[in-house]
Amino acid sequence: MSDFSEELIRSKTEDDKEESCVFSGTGMSFPWLQKHIGTVETGGKKEKDFAQTTSACLGFIQEALLKHQWQQAADYMHSYFQILEDSDSHKRQAAPEIIWKLGSEILFYHPKSSVETFNTFADRMKNIGVMNYLKISLQHALYLLHHGMLEDANRNLSHAETWRYGEKSSSQEVLINLIQAYKGLLQYYTWSKKKMELSTLDEDDYAYNTASQNMFDHSWKTSVNLRALIQTPGVWDPFVKSYVEMLEFYGDQDGAREVLTNYAYDEKFPSNPNAHIYLYNFLKREKAPREKLISVLKILYQIVPSHKLMLEFHRLLRKSEKEDHHKLGLEVLFGVLDFAGCTKNITAWKYLAKYLRQTLMGNHLAWVQEEWKTRKNWWPSFHFSSFWAKSDWKEDKALACEKALVAGILLGKGCRYFRFISKQDDQVLRKKIKQIKKSVKKHSVVNPGL
Amino acid sequence: MDFPSSLRPTLFMTGPLGLSNVPDMSFMCSWRDTLTLPESLPKNSENGAPHLSTVLLWEPETPGPLPLLPPGPDPWDPGVTAQDLLFRGGFPFRRKPQAVLDVTEQVSNPTVGSAVWRGLCTVTRPPFPQLSRFLWDHGDIAFAPLGKLMLENFKLEGARSRSKKKTVVSVKRLLQDLGGHQPWGCPWAFLSFRQRRFSILGGPVLGKSVASLLGELLYEELATRWEQLLLDDAFTGGALAWVPGRTAQVGQLVYPVGGALDKLCFQEVSLTPGGDPQALGDPGHIQLRGPVRQVVTRTVQGESLLAVRSDYHCALWKPSPAWGAGCLQPFRSRLSVDPPGWVMPLSCENPPPLETAPQNHSPCSLRNVSWAPPRPSPHPCWPVSPRLQQVYKDPETLVFCDPSPWRWADFTAHPRVLTVGDRTGVKMIDAQGPPGCGLLLFRGGAEASCQKGERVLLTQYLGECSPESLHPTLHLICTQFSLYLVDERLPLVPMLKWNHDLPSAPLWAQLLPPPRPGCPQPLLLGGQGGHLQLLHLTGEGASAPRLAGPPQSLPSSSDSLSAFPLLEPKSQWRLQERLKAPTIASWTPQATACCSRWLKALLKVPPAPPVWAAPTFSHRRLLGRMEQREVEPKGPEALRAAMAEGRLLRRRDLGSLPSAEPPPTPEPGPEDELSTRLEAAWEGQLATWWERQQGRSSGPGRQPKRRKRRTQLSSTFSSLSGRLDLSDATSPPHSPDRASPEARPRPPVTPPSQESTQELWARDVPSERQQTLRDYMARLPLQGDTPQGVSLPLSQTSSIRATPSRPQTLPDGTAELPPRRNTLRGATVSSSQTSSIRATPSRQQAPVLSGSQPHRKKPRMGF
Repeated sequence: MSDFSEELIRSKTEDDKEESCVFSGTGMSFPWLQKHIGTVETGGKKEKDFAQTTSACLGFIQEALLKHQWQQAADYMHSYFQILEDSDSHKRQAAPEIIWKLGSEILFYHPKSSVETFNTFADRMKNIGVMNYLKISLQHALYLLHHGMLEDANRNLSHAETWRYGEKSSSQEVLINLIQAYKGLLQYYTWSKKKMELSTLDEDDYAYNTASQNMFDHSWKTSVNLRALIQTPGVWDPFVKSYVEMLEFYGDQDGAREVLTNYAYDEKFPSNPNAHIYLYNFLKREKAPREKLISVLKILYQIVPSHKLMLEFHRLLRKSEKEDHHKLGLEVLFGVLDFAGCTKNITAWKYLAKYLRQTLMGNHLAWVQEEWKTRKNWWPSFHFSSFWAKSDWKEDKALACEKALVAGILLGKGCRYFRFISKQDDQVLRKKIKQIKKSVKKHSVVNPGL
Repeated sequence: MDFPSSLRPTLFMTGPLGLSNVPDMSFMCSWRDTLTLPESLPKNSENGAPHLSTVLLWEPETPGPLPLLPPGPDPWDPGVTAQDLLFRGGFPFRRKPQAVLDVTEQVSNPTVGSAVWRGLCTVTRPPFPQLSRFLWDHGDIAFAPLGKLMLENFKLEGARSRSKKKTVVSVKRLLQDLGGHQPWGCPWAFLSFRQRRFSILGGPVLGKSVASLLGELLYEELATRWEQLLLDDAFTGGALAWVPGRTAQVGQLVYPVGGALDKLCFQEVSLTPGGDPQALGDPGHIQLRGPVRQVVTRTVQGESLLAVRSDYHCALWKPSPAWGAGCLQPFRSRLSVDPPGWVMPLSCENPPPLETAPQNHSPCSLRNVSWAPPRPSPHPCWPVSPRLQQVYKDPETLVFCDPSPWRWADFTAHPRVLTVGDRTGVKMIDAQGPPGCGLLLFRGGAEASCQKGERVLLTQYLGECSPESLHPTLHLICTQFSLYLVDERLPLVPMLKWNHDLPSAPLWAQLLPPPRPGCPQPLLLGGQGGHLQLLHLTGEGASAPRLAGPPQSLPSSSDSLSAFPLLEPKSQWRLQERLKAPTIASWTPQATACCSRWLKALLKVPPAPPVWAAPTFSHRRLLGRMEQREVEPKGPEALRAAMAEGRLLRRRDLGSLPSAEPPPTPEPGPEDELSTRLEAAWEGQLATWWERQQGRSSGPGRQPKRRKRRTQLSSTFSSLSGRLDLSDATSPPHSPDRASPEARPRPPVTPPSQESTQELWARDVPSERQQTLRDYMARLPLQGDTPQGVSLPLSQTSSIRATPSRPQTLPDGTAELPPRRNTLRGATVSSSQTSSIRATPSRQQAPVLSGSQPHRKKPRMGF
């Protein structure tokens, strides 16, 4: 009872807590300010001995944790529990959270710790105060999940799911949704195990029917559990993935499409590239028309122009009949190669070399010039310096050849990169280099008149 | 590039900082970050984390970083500390101590006296008269300008005044009259008419104008100093860099030295695998025209580049191998600029004020304009040009309105896109795009579950180092509370958030190469106070970045104290202060051999601790002639001379006394429980004292419940510690298990005679807390050299619990020890029965009560 009343007055005292955190003139708070103030003891009452030992003990625990001295940390933790008897109600109320944070970390890493120890600790911590029940339950379940104890994790989440305290606040609701979603994920794991089993059974077998019925029950429960959370704004990749997989399995294509579309296009959600990737993959599985696929990837292109799907996007655009798609195809390739992480992507260079020739042969010099205009002041040193020519030739001759062709087309024969590669005398690549020289002579945009 | 195929579930909320109804995900622990959700069906139980943690542990070879180079020639000045600026006291502040700057005593100007300074209030009663102290300590600074103004009214030479002006006073006479007296506050002080006149005429000027003018200036200065003490971001990014040499074994350290940090040194250092690094020869240096704030090196396309940031300048150099030899001739700046290589000042209409401490090793910014100056870019396409290029301009802060004098910029994975950050957030902008465009990468708000008062202190692009182990799109964002990893492909949602708990502002970070290919990549995070933390980041290809193991703290420079030879206390204290001083860059683990050399040089510099000296008026050094006459017989000789001359012996005849006034007594400390208790015992009123003590510390009624929780939780951890038996009353006090195997700092000096008393107290302290107390004691500054010094902290910790250990530690009380012990224990028990007190019986190991807690004897939960 006493705990409840303490928790109830908590909302009031939280304001005081903020006040005690001293802010500077700018509104910025300094966690180390208290340390500075602590060094000054000219007038006020000295900190009580109890508080002094407790805070010293906390310092020791944190230090031991950061030095990976788990045993030492456990020893100090043993003493730190005295904070639960602190007469200062602020500290006493903040204590369970600190104890859980530090204690669970110790028990997670301690060599002598076992799952049972962790379970005991977690179960006791859940019931100290009421505010942490859900959070601790969730983390406890994650711990069990990490250790492969799916059933225990599921039991834990089921307990937490039914737990209510006071009026249902929004943060409580989100947490319960999260707990339910994790429960759904666990059910999905069971379901996918059953699916595996089912694939080994004969359809005429009696066991098949039971198993499939069983699976169906699971999926129904799971969908209930997952649906609430994935409508809340957030990043819910694992949940969405498993939910969609189940919906697809039971032929609910419309449901799956709706979930994915909402996940990708709802403005309240962060612009998560995976949302678009999942939708694209779904549409691809569904054999959606090319136009549809292009429209999904167009958005992904705007968010992550460096994504590896962009090469696939380019292929789609290349195959398209529309002229503006062809133009976009060139843009996409240039876009991929803009990124520092993609400079050695040989496929992209190969595509670009090929597509540049194709574009120029199709009399679209203007497209190339448009792309090149914004890049001509930095691509030469970014891609086509003599340093890169040497290092590319040393590391990957095929890449060097593709780049040389692009360099030659874009910068002309005088370009250092092209000159270096064309001078190389390599038995295997002699023919290829000759071809490159020929192509450059024919297509170079530097002297389009010739 | 691959994008993580499945991201960690995160709630996405929009809103301001400290939005309370968001479930705080930072409540999650660091171990949670090492968890990954299985993609499909999890394999059998695999607890890989503990194994990883041992692999990832970095063992320091020395207790702390040891100096490689001797300290510079300039004496080290500890600078302003919190004690110099803060006052903590007064009834309203007891519970919540407040930082108070007080200038009320000397300043008569009420507007200054009562000013509320930056949210920190002044109390009306002046307990810490800083201005007055300033006037005493730095009279020359305070009064010299005024003296200069009034120079024409004074005649310094001893010759007779030929001037007819009545406004000229002979200083010689005036000082003669003062004659080393201190009329200040002394009603019997002898005052000549000359002095009186001077005092009447000069009083208004000296008394009011000086104080109010000085007060205001001092006030501003102190406010600035205080802000600097809290956060000095001028050195964000660090000012120590390594320029790789032609071979892997040789390189150059680049760092600023000198009091003004305006001398950039290039020290050649040789590295041998497995051996200690060695400095080769004397460092070469360049004298610059401003303080060096940041030094960064980078190798771009096989070419090392060095960038230096000052307050208003940036420079980029291409280091030459000859630098280390001290020969600066071959040094060539690639910039067409005036020697010694500064880029031209930024063409800003209004020169930025001093508080502008912006910029970065890459693009820098001033005020609200971000500039892309010459700098070592990770992308070779940025041309090195002698011109600064404006990349961003905005009079507002990025996310919310907050006075942010700081702006920072860095690169991204796209060479044309830069990040621009201020205290409130970080934005990505296209350097060639239209102005005003951009996308927020990080927002100080609910999106990243930021706390109230949280501000960005450091942003850094992590992609440039090694694209193999981490996505080259990650950005590190540090606030005073947390560290965020943000992927530029998914703005606003941090991929990883970790509460770093650094005791000072994180101002420096560096991604280190992984020890072996495939290993997690260590990220070194440095705080202003020299604190270093190491995180192991992993997540390549299709997996999201995460912590590979528990973070680790590396020893800071103050930890290396034990490696130094023991010094006499004063030098030891000075060394300790030096090692604790804020750093402007990282320390690298160095050789022990340099230690003593460094120490010698450090201590060679005459220490100048603030010594209180009674101020006198004898500024006779102004007058050369008078100084000679000052050599007069002292003491008995003076008496004899006075008697012979038949005149009075004046005080000045005795010369300046060694201590004219006693130094200020230290402020009375807080109530000393030990002395009151001893006093009570001496007067035979211990029982009364005890009653009072009980009344004071009696807790609320729900004590037993909490205790139950506590013991329950304790048992979880005691199963780990294996010292459950220690809490058993029957266990012998000299249990070998009790001594912790790890060498914790022990109380430094424990004479053999006190060994037994140490163990006696141990018997009465709950075993679970003994180690805490030992370490706590070791941490506490021991109170002088009183014999009780060692056990004093113990009494403080145990007095609430009413442990009767205190009398035992008294040397004079040992004879009566057993009977007194018994009476006390009796008292404890009886009072604990009458009132619900904190002296919890279970904590006492009294035989009477040990039976009431049988569960403590055996392990619970069966493990």
